[in-house]
Amino acid sequence: MVASRDNFPLLRELLAEQQQLATPVARFSAAHASAAPALEPVYRDLIPLTAPKPGEQFAFEVDLDACTGCKACVSACHALNGLDDTETWRDVGLLVGGADRAPFQQTVTTACHHCADPGCLNGCPVLAYEKDPVTGIVRHLDDQCIGCQYCVLKCPYDVPKYNARLGIVRKCDLCHGRLAAGEAPACVQACPTHAIRIVTVPIAIPRAAGDAAGDFLPAAPAPEYTRPTTRYVSRRPLPENVRAADASALRVQPAHWPLVATLTLVPFAVGCFAAAAAVSFHGAGEESVIHYMTLSGAVVGVMGVAVSVGHLGQPGRAWRVFLGWRRSWLSREAMVFGAWLPLAISTWWWPALAGAAIAVGAAGLVCSAMIYADTRRAFWGAGFGLAKILGTAVVFGAGVVWLAEMSVAAATVMAAGVVAKLACDARVLRTLDEVDEDAPAVGLVASARLLKGPLWRVFALRGILGVSGGMLLPMAARMDGAPGWLPWLAITLLAAGELAERYLFFRAVDAPKMPGVVT
Amino acid sequence: MSALEEWLRAATGPMTSELVQRPGDFGLGRVPARLKPVGTTTSVCGFCSTGCGLKVHLDAEGRAINLSADPAYPVNLGMACPKGWEALTPLSAPDRATTPRLRNRATGELEPTSWPVALEAFVNGFRGIQARHGAAAVSFLSTGQIVTEEMALLGALAKFGMGMRHVDSNTRQCMATSHVAYKQSFGFDAPPFSYRDFEESDALIFIGANPCIAHPIMWQRVMMNRRNPEIVVVDPRRTETAMAATLHVALRPKSDLVLLYGLANALIARGAVKTEFVAAHTENFEAFAAFVTAFTPERTVAETGVARETFERLVAIVAERERVSFWWTMGVNQSHEATRTAQAIINLALMTGNIGRPGTGANSITGQCNAMGSRLFGNATSLLGGYDFGRVEHRAHVARILEIDAASIPEAPGLAYDQILDAIDRGEIRGLWVIATNTAHSWVNQGRFAELRAKLEFLVVQDLYATTETARQADLVLPAAGWGEKDGVMINSERRLGVVRKVARAPGEALSDFAIFKLVAEAWGCGDMFRAWRSPEAVFQILKELSRGQPCDFSGIPDYAAIERAGGLQWPFAAAEAEAWAKGDTVAWRDRRLFADGKFFTANGRARFYFDEPRPLPEPPDREYPFLLLTGRGSSAQWHTGSRTDKSAVLRKLAPTRLYVEVHPADAARIGVGAGEAVRVRSRRGSCVAVAFVTPTVRRGEVFLPMHFAQVNRLTFPAVDPHSRQPAYKAAAVRLERCHDDD
Repeated sequence: MVASRDNFPLLRELLAEQQQLATPVARFSAAHASAAPALEPVYRDLIPLTAPKPGEQFAFEVDLDACTGCKACVSACHALNGLDDTETWRDVGLLVGGADRAPFQQTVTTACHHCADPGCLNGCPVLAYEKDPVTGIVRHLDDQCIGCQYCVLKCPYDVPKYNARLGIVRKCDLCHGRLAAGEAPACVQACPTHAIRIVTVPIAIPRAAGDAAGDFLPAAPAPEYTRPTTRYVSRRPLPENVRAADASALRVQPAHWPLVATLTLVPFAVGCFAAAAAVSFHGAGEESVIHYMTLSGAVVGVMGVAVSVGHLGQPGRAWRVFLGWRRSWLSREAMVFGAWLPLAISTWWWPALAGAAIAVGAAGLVCSAMIYADTRRAFWGAGFGLAKILGTAVVFGAGVVWLAEMSVAAATVMAAGVVAKLACDARVLRTLDEVDEDAPAVGLVASARLLKGPLWRVFALRGILGVSGGMLLPMAARMDGAPGWLPWLAITLLAAGELAERYLFFRAVDAPKMPGVVT
Repeated sequence: MSALEEWLRAATGPMTSELVQRPGDFGLGRVPARLKPVGTTTSVCGFCSTGCGLKVHLDAEGRAINLSADPAYPVNLGMACPKGWEALTPLSAPDRATTPRLRNRATGELEPTSWPVALEAFVNGFRGIQARHGAAAVSFLSTGQIVTEEMALLGALAKFGMGMRHVDSNTRQCMATSHVAYKQSFGFDAPPFSYRDFEESDALIFIGANPCIAHPIMWQRVMMNRRNPEIVVVDPRRTETAMAATLHVALRPKSDLVLLYGLANALIARGAVKTEFVAAHTENFEAFAAFVTAFTPERTVAETGVARETFERLVAIVAERERVSFWWTMGVNQSHEATRTAQAIINLALMTGNIGRPGTGANSITGQCNAMGSRLFGNATSLLGGYDFGRVEHRAHVARILEIDAASIPEAPGLAYDQILDAIDRGEIRGLWVIATNTAHSWVNQGRFAELRAKLEFLVVQDLYATTETARQADLVLPAAGWGEKDGVMINSERRLGVVRKVARAPGEALSDFAIFKLVAEAWGCGDMFRAWRSPEAVFQILKELSRGQPCDFSGIPDYAAIERAGGLQWPFAAAEAEAWAKGDTVAWRDRRLFADGKFFTANGRARFYFDEPRPLPEPPDREYPFLLLTGRGSSAQWHTGSRTDKSAVLRKLAPTRLYVEVHPADAARIGVGAGEAVRVRSRRGSCVAVAFVTPTVRRGEVFLPMHFAQVNRLTFPAVDPHSRQPAYKAAAVRLERCHDDD
């Protein structure tokens, strides 16, 4: 009884019927419903009636006793704000602690804390953030954003989210439009137990560690840095041993390949200029060698700066990058390297500018290190950052000089640079001796565990490359009968080692965030 | 702002406008401007049994473009859990089945085919088996996830049209126990409560239930209680709900029957029995009272591991509070002695007179969105409409309504889920039709399913996705339309009928289960039997007739539109209720509970006390496998085997990405496993790797695995309750082994 679609009328009928929808007109759907929000009576008491007074701002208040982990707030925020499929602006984490007689767990809903001193705003190179002068809401200007994602690194609460489709970040705006219209934010509307409300708080909350009035939330990143305004309240005390459910989770961070390349190439370029200056100062090098060094520096410098643009989601807007110079190290770095680039190129014609190129380049590298130090992430502390980034310029510079002169002095500087850099890593690893195995993976502990754990192969390789390229092979090259290519191999390994170090710089960084869920 | 300022600092533009909101009308408040609806319609949610009303935002063509929780719906009052908010997302998953797929015998691959070829394969496959091995050699396993009209059509088609004898559904995994317990104790499968009882109770006793995670909207109703209630949670784990309780009774797993009998004994000793009610409306209490004298407080605390003072407080709460309600779900239902445990709860409510009054009741919180529809109209254990296959007058009555030959109705209920699988093992059942469930993931001791698959001559899977663990093993996959792509009625935990609406077009040639059953009937040659079953709404009229005169009578409901206008209607809704409703007395009918008159559905109108001696755990921990494995819901963002919830990026983000195992800190230290490290959990049946979640919220010697991960049921122990034949998922002996992630 083989039937085809055509001699099986029921099939044809059912397939057609499956595609038919009743239109809203046919449904008479709630046509009579008023425009007023039906939930208004439910959330009326959950939002302030008046605008904040001077010195005050709006803030989230979360009643921990009422938050029981349903996570409706996250999906309601997603639906009512029309976010992309994979985009969420709110999150729910979990705290655990206590002991046998009183085991403890607490779910924690969290979004942007609309900080009194917002890290995102302070770091933004194009002033794409503004803190509303009346409400205190930290808003993001989506059409201003260049997609550099520095705010993602600056925010200790992991709030701004990069949207790859748009090439910008977006984040919670406290539903400012809803609040302005007397409606509650999506999360407030949707919480089945009314755990989230909007309150008016003084902006100048002290928020110092150990200050009871300024307590933020245990197991959350310390509030002194950005002074988050969200208030977590509970009638029952949280146990002392409370920790995030994901406290031990190791999170390998994004590599940011364009940044890895830039932060290797630019120090290399500055090192080349320094090498050219050193060789010419000694008067030992031939003109052509010095010129090759300068040319290499210029070419690599241009490449380094050019490749950094590849990191931006909206490079076409990058010309505004100077706007944030008052507060943003990223702005400053961009401006310094913006000046350095023509300077570096002009050294080809006017070698006398080399000194300036070195000085400005070094200043730029200091800015680079400060970009990361300003995130307050331990692995990116100013000491480590300067040792690694300026150190690359020193090691490369010495390497280039050594290649030209084969001098012991140059080799020694090169080796010393490598040793200093490896010492930084050793210092990071030593933190593991100072804490328990169970200690939460925060700060250098997180970095050390990442280096010894999921990143150990690259980490080991980095050590081998540094030691062999910067120390062993240069020594071998001094021996009689050493092949002529050996110094070149040494420099290549050295460069690969620096690249690996930069890769680890990004991947092994401690990335603070609010408490999350297990796995 | 000056042009220069705007040029330097763009406060407007195309990206800014993407997030601009506008008043949405229809009572919605502000919505994203690009998703402003032309109209809305309400559909009840298709995940759990809470039965929330979801307001679907429609474009001019009637297509869903967004949704929000319905403020006017009496169940959820404008709230929803994340699954509800994301209900539309799984429909547009890229791996939707869009054509039938037939396994090519030559290549071994499931290849797209046409509906006529698929139907021919279906008929030839199953008819061939029936010709060789008898009509009963073909079975189906269905679901609590499709609408009632589809369940009824499937049950009638399979048993009356195709001659199947043994059919069952995945409600066996979650609700069979409540079904049997109620049927025996009350005379009918009748959860007595309304959600308003959450609000009107003075003491809520949750036994084996974690509504904060499993039924967040029911928990919302608890939080709306203004009577300063005691909230007691009986659960081995310090769950989210236990954290929110006023008393957590952290008992030894599966010692609840002892606890409940001990509680009954202590209440009797305290004189807390409502003797008048017991005398007037129950039977067998004296035997029960004599039986529980053996469960002294000393024995109870010794066997349950509950502190004496905790036990005494529990006794006092039940004895002293005016309105005590008891609520249970899977912690009770999934046990080797589940039915008697559920009935021990019913017994407590009966003896203390906590039934039929506001804020009371022995209340089973149902699992799946239409488990209640399946229980009444699945045609598996009960004959359509809650009748008995075994009674000739029932068969005649149903045959008359359906206008079929009564001889086509089997004279006994068929085998249960586990017995069907055993029959496959024995070679008695050779053909299996799986509809909207995922046996290869969800059945207890799942490893066995692979062996059974090899014994099946023909396996048909009907689902939204050809990618479920079960569909991947099928010989034929039939592409089904999902929730939101069809009309029908579902019945929630509080007996409320709610309407599901078609608001999206099914992809490709996917068809509603209703349409597929109609096609199968036609292809099988029994289409004439179902001429009157034209559409879901036509079937609804048939179901009304089947319900008439039954405790679940809803013959007073005119049509779908009436249910929609009312915000859902609870059964019973017969002529009397319809009359009151018509007079405008709508409020009184919005939230109703059963047994206010003390009359039960048994032959003599009395509720009956059932009890049995507690039995030891089928697989207690021992030296080799020293831990007891508990399983359960892990997050509100995951639904069962994840075949739908895994399709939403938002829900995936809200759920654990990797399987974790909850371990007590002392146990973790003893076996040398740190937080976040991988550990292998092994039972006698299988093993899986999980990340250690070290937490004191689980007791020493016990570990917990969330059930949504496919690996978990490799481990579970296949014990079933003898009365309900529901599997005991929550007790298996396991050991923990250190291992590496890539193990």
